[in-house]
Amino acid sequence: MSDAPADLRAAFLARGAEMEAAYPQMFRADWRTRAGTIGLIGGALLVYVLGLYDLEFSPSVIFHGMWRLADIVGLMLPPSPGTWDRFLLYLDALGQTLSIALLGTLAAALLSVPFGFLAARNVVANGILHVLIRRSLDTIRSIDTLIWALIWINVVGLGPFAGALAIASSDFAAYAKLMSEAIEAADRRPVEGVAASGGGRLTAIRFGIVPQVLPILASQVLYYFESNTRSATIIGVVGAGGIGLHLSEAIRVLEWQETSFLILMVLVTVAIIDALSGRLRGAIIGRR
Amino acid sequence: MLVLDGVTKQFGRARAVDTVSLTIPRGQFVGVIGRSGAGKSTLLRMINRLGDPSAGRISWDGSDVTALKGRALRDWRRRCAMIFQQFNLVGRLDVLDNVLMGRLAHADGWRAMAKLWSRDDRAIAMAALAQMDIAPLAPQRAETLSGGQQQRVAICRALVQEPEIVLADEPVASLDPRSSRIVMDALSRINRHFGLTVLVNLHSLDIARTYCDRLVGMAAGKLVFDDVPAALTDGVARDLYGLEANEVLERDDAPAPESGLAVTA
Repeated sequence: MSDAPADLRAAFLARGAEMEAAYPQMFRADWRTRAGTIGLIGGALLVYVLGLYDLEFSPSVIFHGMWRLADIVGLMLPPSPGTWDRFLLYLDALGQTLSIALLGTLAAALLSVPFGFLAARNVVANGILHVLIRRSLDTIRSIDTLIWALIWINVVGLGPFAGALAIASSDFAAYAKLMSEAIEAADRRPVEGVAASGGGRLTAIRFGIVPQVLPILASQVLYYFESNTRSATIIGVVGAGGIGLHLSEAIRVLEWQETSFLILMVLVTVAIIDALSGRLRGAIIGRR
Repeated sequence: MLVLDGVTKQFGRARAVDTVSLTIPRGQFVGVIGRSGAGKSTLLRMINRLGDPSAGRISWDGSDVTALKGRALRDWRRRCAMIFQQFNLVGRLDVLDNVLMGRLAHADGWRAMAKLWSRDDRAIAMAALAQMDIAPLAPQRAETLSGGQQQRVAICRALVQEPEIVLADEPVASLDPRSSRIVMDALSRINRHFGLTVLVNLHSLDIARTYCDRLVGMAAGKLVFDDVPAALTDGVARDLYGLEANEVLERDDAPAPESGLAVTA
């Protein structure tokens, strides 16, 4: 080792040829992966352009449509419910939409707990049972809330009850999947710690896994409550109760001022829920 | 020469670093010691400008680095490399790419974004890895390496920046005694071989005494000791560490230096 400070760059570069000979693969850009990436992006672009062509997309239609949209926005101003009675009616419908979202989300969350555990591979080790539960959950999840609403309307009749059932049906499977994945990703060491102290299988799950997944599930449920407020508006359109029905009616009869008022009501509600759930989520997860 | 002049960092009502003044000549191997929470990390991070001082001035070779912005700030960070306790590598990138992060300030921005590293950059990075005896690990993902190996990758990343000063924030606090020795030897080697100034935060007094030319002690944000390691008697250490003293004065598992290097100090 020399005593005088060596120039770092020169010292390292001097070993360049030696390094290139010893590790040639580290000096080549990986063109195969790179070509793959470029090909994939190019392919996706091609499909997109072909799709636009197939759907007869034309810039002029968009352009003229924009003027029409501007007209409509102009007609929406200022937002107004029309009469005071109407406003109260809308407020009542909004409350109904909120109850649909709340009841649906809550029912889904409760129902998903046992299924989430059953669908987790580290809880239910039986392979066949695992696949069976996972696939059934996938099937339920693949049917959209709107379709569930149409089905439940035929079963229990028009109204908010069908709406709550629709949200519960589609969301419970989604939660169960999220939960089972959280359980599978949970740290194994606390479970081992509980088991090593003489805890049984159930107590190991109760104290080793539940405290880990509870914050994840709780924050998901809060997020879904917000998202379900919007979903509940949409399923109202097909007759599952709530503010959606009034919204679709207002659009159909071209009452643009009422339409914008209704949209505004939903917007404010969702914003309030978002702010509240953000605080609740922070309280549940705890600040680090 | 690194000069700190009345450097202070205020967090709300608490003073993490309290009017610290310090002059460090080029090529010195300086250990910053003190109990956890004494302000060692905050001090180091301010030198790299990961944190800005609330008051005071930091300068390198006469030019003020406290107020640098944009391009000039990035150039300063290139010249004062940082090594972290938790290594701060990108776990999903391979070892070579992690080391090449140290070439970012030298490389052309767009070529770097596309990972089109020049032959020279690759050669420098590979030679740095070879210097740390980990060149064969170059194609592996960084997260698959052991702690000691990851810290050596981090040292390589620092080296290829072609820095003038290396800041190491508790570089061995997460490592076992054997890896600690390898990492400290590596820092000692780059200090001697390339004449780089090294400023290292250490919790363990024995490592500090073994490797450093000079020790700087901090307590509650203030500079309370600045002398050669031999001047740090057990009595001074007890003042510095309080209740933790017995723990840091334990010498049994302290790493010994690489043979033949310790005497050159």
